[in-house]
Amino acid sequence: MDAKLLNPFIQAAVEVLKAEVDTDVTRGEISMQKSSLTSDDITVLINLVGDVYGVVMYGMQKNTCLNLVSKIMGQEFTELNSLAQSGMAELGNVISGRATIRFSETGYKSNISTPTVLTGNGIEISTLDFPRIVVPLETQFGILTVHLALRTKNPGEPHNPDEFISLIKAPLSPKVS
Amino acid sequence: MNVKFLNPFVSSAHDILSLEMHELVERGDLRLDHGSYQTDDVTVIISLVGAVDGTVFYSMSKEVAVGLASVLMGEKFDSLDRLAQSGVAELGNVITGQASMKLAEAGFESNISTPSLIIGKGATISTLEFPRLVVPLTTSIGSLTIHLALREGLQSNLKTPELEVPKVDFLQKGE
Repeated sequence: MDAKLLNPFIQAAVEVLKAEVDTDVTRGEISMQKSSLTSDDITVLINLVGDVYGVVMYGMQKNTCLNLVSKIMGQEFTELNSLAQSGMAELGNVISGRATIRFSETGYKSNISTPTVLTGNGIEISTLDFPRIVVPLETQFGILTVHLALRTKNPGEPHNPDEFISLIKAPLSPKVS
Repeated sequence: MNVKFLNPFVSSAHDILSLEMHELVERGDLRLDHGSYQTDDVTVIISLVGAVDGTVFYSMSKEVAVGLASVLMGEKFDSLDRLAQSGVAELGNVITGQASMKLAEAGFESNISTPSLIIGKGATISTLEFPRLVVPLTTSIGSLTIHLALREGLQSNLKTPELEVPKVDFLQKGE
């Protein structure tokens, strides 16, 4: 994965966390992982489609999530209910959205999907042949880990879903016997 | 969820599975689920972005995943290794890709994301305020369930940044 894709996400995360929960962020050690991700208590998954494509995941422990959401929404959360999940998803949405705006400034246009929230730790999430860059962001509320499995294509080139289809050929005119 | 988004997925899944497995695939009863989804052994997640917005899951047991990968890739798998995993993800990709072409023909152009695979039973996946339409499909290998949490991509533009999505005319592809 191209390292130029990393900074927009880190900058966006730092800015959004500063604005939303007024916390300073310390970046931990960046690592590159090829194996699948073992989920933390809560993972927000957002796909990117366009000139930059792939998946971004924000993982954290339950307490971190509750602390962040309580601060963002201005009310105390003690469990990961649907409102808390939705708050966390929105945070992922805002960070990813801001990062894609930075990409567009450099000529790479992409759009983000609706967020999906996965709860339950110890589950494997595989991005298949996309290696992931893993960036832990330490805040006073706990650690938010950003996982980026992204690639780029040339700006303006059409998005081609078949690009990923290497093993099975979709029948163009299906015949059902 | 808009039910007109359902048929392209059901017919694509049916066509592709029938073609690969040389048998007819039966559709079970549909249901609309407002709660979150408890994962089965294997779940493929693919998002749609564009005139149709949301997420599609394909969930199945490990046995079915291994069986489908074996049929699709023409080699016998004993476990869900990396290659078998990518086979299952590609199946989700092919079904979603074909469904998105059908949706584009009906005037709803959207792009599909790369697939992600979730392995492990009992986690909870929430699509937040999107209800899911659940479609069970039965094959001789076992059952595969499609979950559709989709809507017309109008409101979601408020949440996503105002960026141009590259328009693709799937019908003209390859010309």
